[in-house]
Amino acid sequence: MSLEAFNNRNVAEGDYFLVAIEEYPTTGWDKFKRVVKRTFKGELFVGLWVVLREMIRFDIHTVQYPQEKMPIGPRYRAVHQMKRLWESNTERCIGCGLCEKICISDCIRMDTKIDENSRKEVTEYTINLGRCIFCGYCAEVCPELAITHSGEYENASEQREHFIIYEDMLTPIDKMKAGKQLEFEGFGAITPHEDERVKKTPLAY
Amino acid sequence: MGNTINFTIDGKHVTASKGETILQVARKNGLYIPTMCYISKTSPCASCRICSVEVEGVDGFILSCNTPPTEGINVATNSYELERERQNIMKLYDVNHPLECGVCDKSGECDLQNMTLEFGLSQQEFSAKDQLRIVKEWGVINYDPALCIMCEKCVHVCNEVIGDDAIEVKFGGYGSTIIPKDSDTLDCTFCGECIAVCPVGALVSSDFKYSANAWELSRIPSTCSHCSAGCPLEYEIRHSGINADDAIYRVKNNFEFASLCGAGRFGFDFDVQDNKDKRRFTAALKVVQNARAIRFSSIITNEEALILQKMKEKLGLKLFNEDARLYAHFMKAYASVSGKLHATANLEAIREADAIVVIGTRVATDNPCVRYALTTAARHNGAKIVYAHPMEDVLMKNTVTQFMKYEVGTEEGVMALLANELLKNTDLDDATKAFFDNLDLGYLEAESNIGDDELFFMSKLFMRAEKKVLVVGADMFAHARVQNIAKLAAIIEKHTDFSLLIVPNEVNTIGVSLICDLDVDEDLRGVVGYNAHGEYIIAADENADFIVPALNQQEGTVVGIDNQVLPLNAALSFNGYELNDIASAFCIEAENTIDYTKELPQSVGFKGVEFDSLENFLGEFGEDERGYQLESVECVMDGKLEEVAELPEYNGTVIYQVNPVLQFNSFTNKTKQLERDTTLRGSAQFAAVAKISDGDEVEISLGDTTQKRVFKLDDELKGTIALNPTFDSGYDHGSYRFLKSKIVRVV
Repeated sequence: MSLEAFNNRNVAEGDYFLVAIEEYPTTGWDKFKRVVKRTFKGELFVGLWVVLREMIRFDIHTVQYPQEKMPIGPRYRAVHQMKRLWESNTERCIGCGLCEKICISDCIRMDTKIDENSRKEVTEYTINLGRCIFCGYCAEVCPELAITHSGEYENASEQREHFIIYEDMLTPIDKMKAGKQLEFEGFGAITPHEDERVKKTPLAY
Repeated sequence: MGNTINFTIDGKHVTASKGETILQVARKNGLYIPTMCYISKTSPCASCRICSVEVEGVDGFILSCNTPPTEGINVATNSYELERERQNIMKLYDVNHPLECGVCDKSGECDLQNMTLEFGLSQQEFSAKDQLRIVKEWGVINYDPALCIMCEKCVHVCNEVIGDDAIEVKFGGYGSTIIPKDSDTLDCTFCGECIAVCPVGALVSSDFKYSANAWELSRIPSTCSHCSAGCPLEYEIRHSGINADDAIYRVKNNFEFASLCGAGRFGFDFDVQDNKDKRRFTAALKVVQNARAIRFSSIITNEEALILQKMKEKLGLKLFNEDARLYAHFMKAYASVSGKLHATANLEAIREADAIVVIGTRVATDNPCVRYALTTAARHNGAKIVYAHPMEDVLMKNTVTQFMKYEVGTEEGVMALLANELLKNTDLDDATKAFFDNLDLGYLEAESNIGDDELFFMSKLFMRAEKKVLVVGADMFAHARVQNIAKLAAIIEKHTDFSLLIVPNEVNTIGVSLICDLDVDEDLRGVVGYNAHGEYIIAADENADFIVPALNQQEGTVVGIDNQVLPLNAALSFNGYELNDIASAFCIEAENTIDYTKELPQSVGFKGVEFDSLENFLGEFGEDERGYQLESVECVMDGKLEEVAELPEYNGTVIYQVNPVLQFNSFTNKTKQLERDTTLRGSAQFAAVAKISDGDEVEISLGDTTQKRVFKLDDELKGTIALNPTFDSGYDHGSYRFLKSKIVRVV
C-alpha cells in the first residue's frame, strides 16, 4: 500500500457505508414500546449463554491475575534491585553516588562512610518510590551493575515509608547462595559476549 | 635587547618578560600546554615532563615549565612525537594505579583521570610488579602511597609556600614515596595545603574520606572568618543524611594561587541552628531596650557593625569593642603622620618583597597567611626577613634571616631604634630630625637588649633590597605607648621605600574600627554581649541567651588585612532571628542585612555598592576579583612624635597571650577536627622560675582575674615567657599581650 492511501483524509469516499439505524422514538408510547421490546426479547440470555458455555468449556481468554501473571520483558523497568557479587556474595554497590546525582526526580539518597577495614561503606540508601519515574538512568549510570530494575511491579503497603529501603532491594543472601540471583538484561546491562571484548592488562612479571 | 624576549609558540608571536618561562608565556597568551605537576605558586617541580615542547633546531624535548625562552626561537607545543611522549608518560602513571575511581575521594576532579581521558588512553602495554603500599594515617591527613603519582607538588608547597618543610620525597625508583621529614609521623602545622594540591587521591582529609563525592557537593565561595587575613575559600555542602539539612563537608580553595591554613580548611563546622521563637525574641528585645551598652567582638560583618552603630545612635547605647577601638587608636596616630587612613602594603607586597621587618607579632599563629607570604618571599625572592620579637618562634626558624630579640614592653624603643637605623641617610624635616637627634641610643639599646651590631647587620642585609615591607603586629595595639609606635611606623613608611602592613587581631577588626564609633569599655551593669561576654549574650553559640547565625551562615562583607572588602556568602541556612530583626524592631529597618552593604560609610573608603554586585573569585592568572579595595582617604597630618618614654621592665614570669597553631577564637574552638591545646606552654627555664613542672595544674593571675591551666613543658621554647592560649577564654584583646603574672601551683 502506498503512502498516499494513508494520506487521503477524505473519509466520505471509498468503502464507508451508512448503518441502518431505526428512527429514535419521539412519543412516550413509542418509548414504552421500545422498553418492552428490549426487556422481553431475550437478548440478556444470549449473553448469559455465552458465559455459561465458555465456563463449561474452560476456554478462558483473560489472565487470571493474581493467580496468573503475564511474562514481563527483560527491559521492563519496575522496582529497583540491588545486586550482590557472584564471587563473594557481598553487595555490589560501592557508594559512588552517581545514581543519586543523575536521578532526575531526586528520589535517591545515600550516605557513606569509611568503615573499620578502610573501605567505603554505604550506611544508608533509600529510593523514594513516590517520586521515582522509573526512567532507568540510575541503572544505566551504575558502574558496578549494582542497581538494576526488576520486573517487580506489585507495590502495596500501608505506609509510604515502606518505599523503599536498601534491604528490600538487596538480593537476599539465601537466594544468592542458592545461585538464584537473576542478572538484569535491560537498561544498563552489559551486552552479550562482553567477555570476548575485554582486553586484559599486561601482567608481564 | 632590553627586558623582553620575542619568540613564537605554534607560529604565534609572543613576548616574554625577563624571568618568565615558556609555559607562563603560553598560558598568558591562551595557548594550551598540558601539565601534571605544575603549580603556579611554587617553583616548577619538573617531575612529570608532560609540559615538554619542541624547539626548532634543538634536539630532544624542552621542559616548558622551567625553561625561559631565548630571542627568536620557534616553539611547537604539538607534534606526533610529543603526543606519543605524553601518552607514554600517562601510561606510566597509570601502571598499577588502583582502579578504585568509583570510591576514590578525588574521582571527578582528578588530574590523572582527566589527562588519561585527554590523551585517549584505552589500553596499556607497560607493567611493573606491584608493591605492598600501606595507607599512612597522619592525623587529619591520610596518605595512600598506592595512589600517589610522585608529582612532588605537596613537597614544593610545604617547603616553598607554607614553610613547614615537613614532608620530603623518599627516592627509590618505582618505590618512591612521600615521607614525613626527620620523623616517623607527620609533625607539622596541619595546614592541609598538601591535600589541596594533590592531583590524585593520595593525600586526602581523613575526616572527609569516603563521605561524599566531588559531583555531589555544591560549592559556595566565601571568605575565611577565623583570622584577619580573610583568605578566599569555598565551602562544599551536601545534605547530611537521608532527610537531613545541608552540612559543610569540606573546604577547598583555589590552591593554584591562594593558600589556606588548617583552621580555614578543617575548622568549618562552627554553624549554629535555632528556630524563630517569638517569646525568646520579645525577651531579647526587652533586654536590648533596657541595655546601656553592647559589647561585641570583631568577628562580625561590616553590615552588622553598621547596624550596631545605628542602634547606638538611635537607642543611645554605648558600644564596647576593645580590639577594634585600640586598632582605631593605632590607626589614628598612624594617619596623623602618614596622611593616609589605610596602610599601604598587602600580602601580595610581602610575597614580592625582598626585605621584610616583622615586629610585634607571633605571626605564624597570629596570622598564618602572613607567614605563608613571608615563606614565599624568602624562598622565591631570597628575601631577607628580620623578625623582631621577645620570643623566638620555631615555626619561623627556616624563614627568618635575622632574629632580633627585644625585651618585653620595650616596643617603643625598638621602633625608635629601627626607625633611626632605617632613616639614617634620609632627609627629614626639622622636628623629626630633632626627635632622632635626641634619642638616647645607649639607653634604648641597653633596655631593649638590641645591639648596635644587630641593627648594623640588618642594614647590611637590606643594602641591595628594592621592595621592602614593614609588618607591625597586634602586640602594639594595646601597648601603653601605642601612639608613638604608630607614628614611628608611619614615619618609616613615609620617608623610606618600606610599605607598611598592619596585622589586626580578628577577621573584621579593620571594618569595625572604620564603621563604629566605639567607647572605652567599662564594667557597667546592663551590658549586652554580641558574640562577646555580657550580662545577656546574643551570639552564634548554642549556649547563648539568644542565638544568631555564624559567619558561614550569613551574607555580608568583612575588611581583610589587605584593606579589601571581602564578601561572605551563606553556606548553610539559619532559621532563627538575626541582628537585623532586632534592629528592625527598633525601627532601624531593612529587609535584609546586606541592604546595608551600599550604606557603608564612604568617608572612610567604602564604595557604596550593592552586595549582590560583589564578585568573589580569583581570576585565571590569580588576579584577586573578590569584593573591592577600600578607597584611600586623605587625613590631616598634624601628628608630632613624642619623646620616647622610659622603657618598662618585665621581670620574673611573664605570660604571653597567644593561641596555639590553628586556634583563633571561640568559633575554631567549637570545630570537630582542630586540635584544642589549652595548656600553658613554657620552657624549662620558665618552669624553674615559676617553680612548677610539666603537667602541673596552675593558677595564673592575669591582671585582676585568674585562670586555671595545665602547664606543659615545651622544649622548643626558651626564656621566662610562657604562652597562654586565648581561644577558649573570650579574651577581648583589650590589654597588652604580655602580662606580668604570678603563677601558683594548685595543690
